[in-house]
Amino acid sequence: MSDPLDTIAGWIAEHAAIPLLWHLGLMQWEDLAYGWALFAVYGAVQVALMYAICLPLERFFPIEHWPDHRVEWTDMFYTILARVGILPLFTFVLFFRVQAAFSGLLADHDLVAPTLERAIPALFGHPVPTFILYALILDFADYWRHRLSHRFRWWYALHALHHAQRQMTFWSDDRNHLLDDLIAALWFGVIALAIGVAPLQFPVLVLVLRFLESLSHANTRLSFGWLGDRLLISPRFHRAHHAIRAAGAKSCNYGAVFPFWDMLFGTADFTATPGMTGDPKADEALASGSYLAQQWAGLRGFLHALGVMEHSQ
Amino acid sequence: MRWMTLSLVLFSVILFSLASTAARAQGLAFVIDSGAAAISVVDVASAREIRRVPVLREPHHMALTPDHRFLLIGDTAGNELIFLDPVSGGVARRIPMPDPYQLQFSPDGKTLVVTELARNRVDIYDAGSYHLRFRLALGSFPSHINFSPDSKTAFVTLQQSNQLVAIATGSGDVRWKIDIGDTPAGVLWLDGRVLVAVMGRDGLAVVNPANGAIERRVATGRGAHNLFLSPDGRTLYVANRVDGTIAVLDPKTLVVQREISLPGGPDDLDFAPDGKLWVTRRFAHSVAVLDPASGKYEIIEVGRSPHGIWLNTHDHLPRAVAGAPAGHS
Repeated sequence: MSDPLDTIAGWIAEHAAIPLLWHLGLMQWEDLAYGWALFAVYGAVQVALMYAICLPLERFFPIEHWPDHRVEWTDMFYTILARVGILPLFTFVLFFRVQAAFSGLLADHDLVAPTLERAIPALFGHPVPTFILYALILDFADYWRHRLSHRFRWWYALHALHHAQRQMTFWSDDRNHLLDDLIAALWFGVIALAIGVAPLQFPVLVLVLRFLESLSHANTRLSFGWLGDRLLISPRFHRAHHAIRAAGAKSCNYGAVFPFWDMLFGTADFTATPGMTGDPKADEALASGSYLAQQWAGLRGFLHALGVMEHSQ
Repeated sequence: MRWMTLSLVLFSVILFSLASTAARAQGLAFVIDSGAAAISVVDVASAREIRRVPVLREPHHMALTPDHRFLLIGDTAGNELIFLDPVSGGVARRIPMPDPYQLQFSPDGKTLVVTELARNRVDIYDAGSYHLRFRLALGSFPSHINFSPDSKTAFVTLQQSNQLVAIATGSGDVRWKIDIGDTPAGVLWLDGRVLVAVMGRDGLAVVNPANGAIERRVATGRGAHNLFLSPDGRTLYVANRVDGTIAVLDPKTLVVQREISLPGGPDDLDFAPDGKLWVTRRFAHSVAVLDPASGKYEIIEVGRSPHGIWLNTHDHLPRAVAGAPAGHS
């Protein structure tokens, strides 16, 4: 029984991407085109799933009510760009080169690039436990990346774009500054090289995790219960991280998928009452500006924090 | 009564064994699922996938060792060479090898050439010891490999540099390197000439192996990817990736006799004992079992992005066109 998403990705590769590459004289990238098509199809399904599940939750069990939803359109644009658009394409080409260079360099010296499966051979041929282990390690790494992004002024100047949204919805997960995305990609790149991550081997599981991350930003009262909230991050748990009082250096609930790291390192707060979100100190352009205005304001704040640029309002 | 029951059971077991032997007599097909980090093992008789051999990351191609003991699988992103039993499909051992994309043994069985597509290198190994003799940086995306019949020259396509290079296997020297057209892929020595499938164009380039001169071009279809001579040496097949066709050519004249529609991104193929072609369909997670006479095909579902394919029903493929004058092979 074949995966229908694979079939759709194959159709896009065969009937759109490959003929386009042929006409552009770029057939040397045809192998990657299929990988990108697969990524984009799974991304589109993520978006559809988010919409189908999160929208009713926000409609029927909202925490906040807003008369105007126009500021959410920018977040929507971020989501499309990140999940089905051009960003995955760059990730593919870049990661393909870096991963090949690093692991090949090791193999040149008869060393084998590290992978979890080599460390634990019992994982071979068992995709689900393999993926869960990979997910735990990556989530742990992401906890520290996220926590540090609140710790350093220059880094938070970029990350403030994510926190500035006062109308936080399931679309808000991907609203990030491009430089913040780049740092995250490098961070994950290093971890991935250390443990040998191959996300395309587990597209369905990646889809589920990305969905959970979107759900955690939804404007809904949903909690997974006492035990569930301690196993997976719920919208209620993550809203406490986006609360006005949690903006900046003294925040809580940094985790993305699993709350274990917050519990382990003393940053978990399960008691906060869900309320308003946003960063009162952030430039207004970060909250309500267009995509480009937000990117420019983030860059300005970043350069100002580094002392490269004078602050101007 | 107990003896009768026992006899019946024994008789059934013998019948089952005979039936299994008959099924196995036609052999196994090994299909590399590049996007699923696995090798699909397909029973040729029943045309069904019977199991999957997991590998680490991203395997693409394979080659049978000259002594026929192992089927070597290159796992590119896993940086491993996997030794598979070509009869049972069991993994015998693995050795580290950087980015093994295409791999091919020379006709005399003494040299193994491996291309590192992502790392832009061509590696020449001693086929017996797997000791690296030469590592050559010749251009971008080295891909397919073929040899002259005397094993003295290896021809390698450089997909991103748009070139074909001839390498002396004994010294590692470059004999010549030519611009051949946008994204060259499959390469085949045929009847004293080197044929190259040029994927960014619509067919083959015919090259003089002595000096690298392009003698002519033959249109076969958009995205000509790879080419194969039939076991009887009477037919040349070209898989056209963009058009989704298999072009059928006379190997003596290189005249296209007809085109068979085969959508799904046709890639590698191998020949079954019954004359059918087993073709991987890169974008359709399947293998097509194609009857070249009628153009009809059946589908066998395998893993994501199937690439290399090999049937253990034969040892090797012909290197000469049927009826070609001596010395031309």
